[in-house]
Amino acid sequence: MPRISEHVGIERKPKLGGGGPGKIPHRHGYGGGDDGDHGQRDDFVSPKDRLRRYRIGMAAAIVAFSTFFIGMAVSYLLRLGVTQWNPDLQKSVRDSHPLALPYLRLFINSLVLIMSSVTLDLARRGLLAKSEFSVMGIAPPKFKTEVPWLGITVILGFAFLIGQLLVWNIFRHQGIYLSSGTRSGFFYMLTGAHAAHLAGGLLVLLWASLSNFMRTRFESRQIAVEVTAWYWHFMGVLWILIFGLLHFSRG
Amino acid sequence: MINRSPDHPTIRSSDSSLLIFLSLLLITIVTVYLFAVHPWWFPAGVSSSSAGIDHQFVAALRVLGALFIAGQFLLGLVLLRSPSRKNRSSRGSWPLEITWTVLIACIFFWFNLAGNRLWSEIKLHLPEEDALQVEVTGTQFQWYFRYPGNDGKFGHTNPQRFARPEEGNPLGIDPDDPDGKDDIVSTSLVLPAGQDVDLILRANDVIHGLFIPAMRFKQDTVPGMTTHAHFKPLQAGSYEIACSQLCGLGHYRMRALIQVLTTIEFKQWLNSRHASGS
Amino acid sequence: MQRPTPITTEIASRRRLFSTDHKVVGLQYFFLSLAAVLVGMMLSLLMRIHIIWPKATIPLLGEIKPENYLAYLTMHGTLMIFFVLSTAPQNGFGNYFLPLQLGASEMAFPRLNMAGFWITLLSFLVLLAAFFVPGGASLAGWTQYSPLSAIASAGPGQGLGTDLWLLSIALFCLASILSAINFITTTLKLRGRGMTLMRMPLTCWTWFVTAILTLLAFSVLLSAAIMLLLDRNAGTSFFVPSGLVVSGSPVEHAGGSPLLWQHLFWFFGHPEVYIAILPGMGMTSHLLSVFSRKPVFGYKAMVGATIAIGVLGFSVWGHHMFVSGMNPYAGFAFSTLTTAIAVPSAIKTFNWLGTLWGGHFRFTVPFLFSIGFVSLFISGGLTGPMLAQPALDIYLHDTYFVVAHFHLIMAMAGVFAIFAATYFWFPKMFGRAMNHRLGVLHFWFTLLGAYSTFMPMHLLGIAGNPRRYSELTGAQYVAALAPLHKFITLAAIITIGAQFLFLANFFWSMFKGAPAGENPWQCTTLEWRLSSPPQHGFGNNLPVVHHGPYEYGSAEWNGTAAQEDFLMQDAPANP
Ligand code: HEA
Ligand code: HEA
Ligand code: CUA
Ligand SMILES: [Cu+2]
Repeated sequence: MPRISEHVGIERKPKLGGGGPGKIPHRHGYGGGDDGDHGQRDDFVSPKDRLRRYRIGMAAAIVAFSTFFIGMAVSYLLRLGVTQWNPDLQKSVRDSHPLALPYLRLFINSLVLIMSSVTLDLARRGLLAKSEFSVMGIAPPKFKTEVPWLGITVILGFAFLIGQLLVWNIFRHQGIYLSSGTRSGFFYMLTGAHAAHLAGGLLVLLWASLSNFMRTRFESRQIAVEVTAWYWHFMGVLWILIFGLLHFSRG
Repeated sequence: MINRSPDHPTIRSSDSSLLIFLSLLLITIVTVYLFAVHPWWFPAGVSSSSAGIDHQFVAALRVLGALFIAGQFLLGLVLLRSPSRKNRSSRGSWPLEITWTVLIACIFFWFNLAGNRLWSEIKLHLPEEDALQVEVTGTQFQWYFRYPGNDGKFGHTNPQRFARPEEGNPLGIDPDDPDGKDDIVSTSLVLPAGQDVDLILRANDVIHGLFIPAMRFKQDTVPGMTTHAHFKPLQAGSYEIACSQLCGLGHYRMRALIQVLTTIEFKQWLNSRHASGS
Repeated sequence: MQRPTPITTEIASRRRLFSTDHKVVGLQYFFLSLAAVLVGMMLSLLMRIHIIWPKATIPLLGEIKPENYLAYLTMHGTLMIFFVLSTAPQNGFGNYFLPLQLGASEMAFPRLNMAGFWITLLSFLVLLAAFFVPGGASLAGWTQYSPLSAIASAGPGQGLGTDLWLLSIALFCLASILSAINFITTTLKLRGRGMTLMRMPLTCWTWFVTAILTLLAFSVLLSAAIMLLLDRNAGTSFFVPSGLVVSGSPVEHAGGSPLLWQHLFWFFGHPEVYIAILPGMGMTSHLLSVFSRKPVFGYKAMVGATIAIGVLGFSVWGHHMFVSGMNPYAGFAFSTLTTAIAVPSAIKTFNWLGTLWGGHFRFTVPFLFSIGFVSLFISGGLTGPMLAQPALDIYLHDTYFVVAHFHLIMAMAGVFAIFAATYFWFPKMFGRAMNHRLGVLHFWFTLLGAYSTFMPMHLLGIAGNPRRYSELTGAQYVAALAPLHKFITLAAIITIGAQFLFLANFFWSMFKGAPAGENPWQCTTLEWRLSSPPQHGFGNNLPVVHHGPYEYGSAEWNGTAAQEDFLMQDAPANP
């Protein structure tokens, strides 16, 4: 059995060698674990550790999502710059289908999404406050006038998705489809991919708000809400960026 | 020197290291022999840029070949070296790291610079004033070469509307365009020696690659794009063109000939094509 | 044992097919990769046979037609790059050994990990299904250049076969991203006490950097694959230009850019080749140190070079596009950056030689394969700076010279790293040792076979033989190269035959090999603390790390146990 000592030192400091002497920085988050309530190991991980771990995971995931959307956005800009020879007009042309955005709807949707971000953060804070109790080993109290922020967020999230459906519907009625031009193609793709990602987050929130009534551990719920809040805020910012991109490239 | 490790058969390390050293030596010698004797090598270069490219290739081969020999030899050598107590505790040395980093960077960038100079000579110079214009079109699996004819103008094309390979209009030249009446379409590239040729590269279906080994020339033909590239054939003769970009099941047989003629012969060829064409 | 219950449940959960245990997931990835390499290897055999005997009839398959050749080529490249070199070194060995080497008992998100494997398996099956649909598998190569890949009428495999290819790759991207998130979090959050970043074994460093590359590169490929799927199935025109006539009929699309696909693909593709080799580099550094009984030379320089390769890897993609019609000015930038990335690779090579310098060698099979890796890496790598010169690449692009380059540096070096890792960790994974003699035989056949197969390909390329030619009958100067092709095929047949030595050794040793102890190679890293195979992770005996990972050679410390020449990472600090 290795002896546990806090201060570790190798006498001579190797110049380029395999790691120098060091303190022991990682007091938290060692020893494995499981990302659920099931199969709880005997090497128990504290909720705080789990939360930190999930945050790092979510940060990495957000990097991946960003790259995914940057890939599409850069393609969009490059694609807009492409000119091609048109044999009928006998000249090089650029894709010239402008896209009239239904601004009113889009603004309403944006507002709904921003509001949902706010309510989700309120829900997150509520749970965070409660989690202090659970850390102390006290059952989280039930307040009488508790606002169901999580439920409101879910409703707003659905409202946003429905709003996006309505936007697509407007385009459909105008005869604008995915294949109608560069701008419409990217419009559907970017908003569609965003909506799909958002729907994923919504599922987690739905689970978290329903699990209130199931026998899920409180910390799991809290962690789910905590990291989904990051994700949700990211999707909100992303939406603004996409909206801006679509606006400035509308032709 | 015998190392015993508890769970493994005894290994005589001096034998192993000698064996590895010798086989690395063998690999190096055979490789160097292959490249030095080169039973298969470049076809003779006959364009104005051939000499530069060949020279640069050989120069790069010398430098990298030397590194290859040195690398394999050193790898064998360190295995042969008898174990040393002094080196055994070595964990690295910044002076050494810096030395070889600078050294290898200098070597690489030195001939990267030479390569870039060559590239700018080939790519950044406009074709000469009197360059012959030829339009190259890649289609699955046939090359077409179009000459503008006496008027020096290419007729409009619209493959989607007019392309009829079976009626002798594979490129879809607009039948109503007067400029197109005297265009010559050939399935081999016929060029005069000593004159710069300005190729206009297109494709009608998928990407192809116009590869003329003897001219040290290669350029992809990309549908939806018009690419210019030029070279100057120096020597009369007949050479082969291959397709270098995967374009479908007939990729391997998408071959054409390039015929470099003297200026007079080329004129005659043009005239004969005019006579038969109109 | 104090508490038997959790261990029995643990064993029960290990036996489950749908296990979240990182060791099971790692082995699942490993065997998936083994299946993929066998298919890919057989495809390369068929390709080599077809090139020199185009009319040969193969049992069960009949005569190979040119389109079959291209389908085999596409599948060979895809299987080998994605399902072998991006799977076994990273997800196979990484899942198994990253937590153990870091002193953790699990990955950060075990269920995500399991999901990653099953999505990869699904992706594998979808890919193989393409062989059985009308038209067969895609024939557009592993690079799937549009418009060949975007238009169903462009060739026999370009219908459903290509859709399946894209779907498979999209799934693979998803799984890789999930797995990368897991690797990053595990490395950042689950290191045991005292395991500082600079005390991680170099294997962990390369797994970590590779995970970051995976995260960025695969998300771009995912978006590109979705766009190409939309082009094919929803009538968009991201990559398909206007005015095309394919197979005699006009194509509806308008205005897309084929070069856009190439930029997106290679923005992924170049980091991808480093994803394929970085873990191999880490394993090589690790093993050279272990079997030279000497610390890694220049640990920090190695870490720095790994990171430099990772960062620069994203800026060089244009070197695949010098003759694509890209702006010639871009050629300068990409050429210079590519030359720059060759420098950290060379630094690694020098440090490997430095590690070997004056070592007390133990010529075990994994050591032999690591030496082979260095040799192949030098041979294949040095053609890189040559290809990086646009003026030379004009001639060499899309010839067998490139095929030679990447088979030596990627395929063979990468496979050598997998072999080294397999022979090395086999005792830990299965509790038994692989046969030494068979292993040595396998090494010699594979080393000489690899060189005789791929070295001559340089000459084919210099003679102007284009890639992806199913037959040599097209151009006359290519037909003249037949004798060399014949030699290459024979060498390939021998090399492929020799792989059965490995397979036999592997499966025989799994059941009949000599039992291996806890730490048969006398290594310092934490996985060797555990029983072979590990039953229960570290359980309650979480290790505390006091030393760097490469404490070999007894001169380094003031003798604890004089007869041993290594110091476990978790050995007591000051005895
Ligand atoms: C693992 C994969 C891998 C790795 C590591 C590399 C490494 C490199 N590659 Fe390669 N490459 C591929 C896989 C890889 N490549 C693949 C798959 C393709 C083809 C894709 C396709 O089209 O299908 C390709 C194609 C390719 C091209 C495009 C060719 C073309 O299509 O026209 C280019 C061009 O620049 C290139 C360059 C380089 C360079 C400069 C390096 C450098 O990083 C190499 C650095 C290494 C060294 C320089 C060796 C170091 C050793 C020494 C310096 C010797 C030391 C000497 C002594 C000790 C004395 N590669
Ligand atoms: C990992 C990558 C890898 C590997 C190992 C190989 C292995 C081989 N390849 Fe492949 N090849 C590619 C990647 C690879 N290839 C790619 C990317 C292309 C380009 C595709 C395209 O153009 O689109 C290509 C193309 C390609 C061509 C070009 C065809 C053409 O352009 O027309 C040829 C031709 O000879 C060829 C031949 C071979 C041969 C004979 C082998 C033999 O060496 C096979 C012998 C096999 C081994 C020695 C490996 C055995 C390994 C194991 C048994 C590992 C065990 C695994 C575990 C333990 C998990 N390959
Ligand atoms: Cu045309 Cu290949
Ligand atoms: Cu590359």
